[in-house]
Amino acid sequence: MNRALSWLLSGRRPLASHLLLAPASLWLICFLVIPAAGLIVTSFAKNGPYGVVIWEFGFQNYARAFDPKYLPVLFRTLGFAGATTALCLILGYPLAYFLTFYAGRWRNALLVGLMVPFWSSCLVAYYSWMIVLGKEGLINATLMRLGVLSEPIGFLYTPFAILLGLVYFYLPFTVLPLYASLDKVPRSVIEAAYDLGAGRWTAFWKVTLPLSLPGVVAGCVLTFIPCLGDFLTVEILGGPRYYLLGNLISNQFMMAQDWPFGSALTALLLAGLVGGLWLYQRWEKA
Amino acid sequence: MRKGRGFAVYCAGLFSFLYLPLAVMFVFSFNDARRNVVWRGFTLKWYKSLFQNAEMMDAMLTSLELALAAAAIAAVIGMLASYAMVKHKAFRGRGAYDSLLNVPLMMPEVALGVGILTFLVRAGYELDFTALAFSHALICLPYTVAAVRARLISLQESSLEDAAMDLGATEWQAFVKVTLPLAMPAIISGALLSFTVSFQDFVTSFFVAGIGIVTMPIKIYSMIKFGVTPEINALSVCLLLATFLLIGLNAAFAVRPDEASRH
Repeated sequence: MNRALSWLLSGRRPLASHLLLAPASLWLICFLVIPAAGLIVTSFAKNGPYGVVIWEFGFQNYARAFDPKYLPVLFRTLGFAGATTALCLILGYPLAYFLTFYAGRWRNALLVGLMVPFWSSCLVAYYSWMIVLGKEGLINATLMRLGVLSEPIGFLYTPFAILLGLVYFYLPFTVLPLYASLDKVPRSVIEAAYDLGAGRWTAFWKVTLPLSLPGVVAGCVLTFIPCLGDFLTVEILGGPRYYLLGNLISNQFMMAQDWPFGSALTALLLAGLVGGLWLYQRWEKA
Repeated sequence: MRKGRGFAVYCAGLFSFLYLPLAVMFVFSFNDARRNVVWRGFTLKWYKSLFQNAEMMDAMLTSLELALAAAAIAAVIGMLASYAMVKHKAFRGRGAYDSLLNVPLMMPEVALGVGILTFLVRAGYELDFTALAFSHALICLPYTVAAVRARLISLQESSLEDAAMDLGATEWQAFVKVTLPLAMPAIISGALLSFTVSFQDFVTSFFVAGIGIVTMPIKIYSMIKFGVTPEINALSVCLLLATFLLIGLNAAFAVRPDEASRH
């Protein structure tokens, strides 16, 4: 027994490595590879009555995804993802800059503090935004008591609420890569710029910002891509008028029972993910 | 440092944006009013009715069991996988394993959820607790692997295992007596992260959980959708406090880079 286990752990044979990796591979194959492959195959099939999948292959589901009924959803998803990324970048860069250069001994605590809302349930965070933004919510109640408003404002179920939710949840996704790359900028280079007569702004524009560019790109990719597949934000804060790709996918499986169309939409989402990562890797290598 | 102060104010603003809604919910979970957010006095009655509500207690218990099962599975398979990835000399297919192990992190949860749902339904498997726990284990796997791998790499540099083997230990003995105890903080930290991920997961559970399985986030969701009661604040605060506790525990166990290289 001892010898067999030692053989397994020593890894002198590739078989031992594969055996140790077998349980993890089993999981990845059963719960990731096969489901994804199944979706891609189904995306070419036809939907029959009562949600029965008819195995006749064609591109009709993809054509349908781009028809004028659904095209706005795709554009809206891209728009919200883009706007969220831009806002997170604008809001997050000064925060990452502060964490790197000014936070001092508070840095680690602040980094953990930044992650806590992300680790705590997104659902709970969005629900608490409902309490703040709702018609009888904190903001409306306060403003009406102060006499500023006579009628409550409907903040919820608007594009504003969706954007707020997305920025709220994805901000750490932008800030952490920014922080990581700002932290790598050698202080001596910045000091050299000062010594050569550069002011604060010049040093920032010509030295710090260009050197932190890898973090900017990584932060954008890490925000934009998950935003494309976001589902919960609209479900809680957005209401039915502004649904995004993730909600459209969910509807095909949970309500409309149109698996082939839902699979095609999911395949498009995955294509966006793979394409985005591919572009990022090419940029990284260049 | 005048400029630094301006930044500090800005960051305080941003942090209050992040924490304001959570604080509001926390405060109003003690509010003695059914719907209104206007403060009507302190009460614990929502917590009391929460703990007397069998459905909600069941949901809590289900979430706990689910997170325990998922974290345990992910810890074991993640530990074995990281050991082979770090300790074994290069073998064919290692790059493929490497990228595959990170895919669950990047995969949109909606895609993962509908993928697993359709696969299980087609395979004729009833959507039960096991199916959900196994799906959660997949989402947790990258977190365990990341934590354990980092630790094993830093242990590799200290070559304590080699020293044990020079002194006559077999690989198995070196693993049990040296590597495993030294890797334990990382395994625990990975398991705590996994537990958190599974405990608060909504999207995957939304798709994969069968009709009879109600986790805490699913319960909260259905309460938001079909009639808000004040107990939902109390339940959300419980979920929130549980995650805060887990993050705190994890911070205690996490291996800091400076500490890892000291051995």
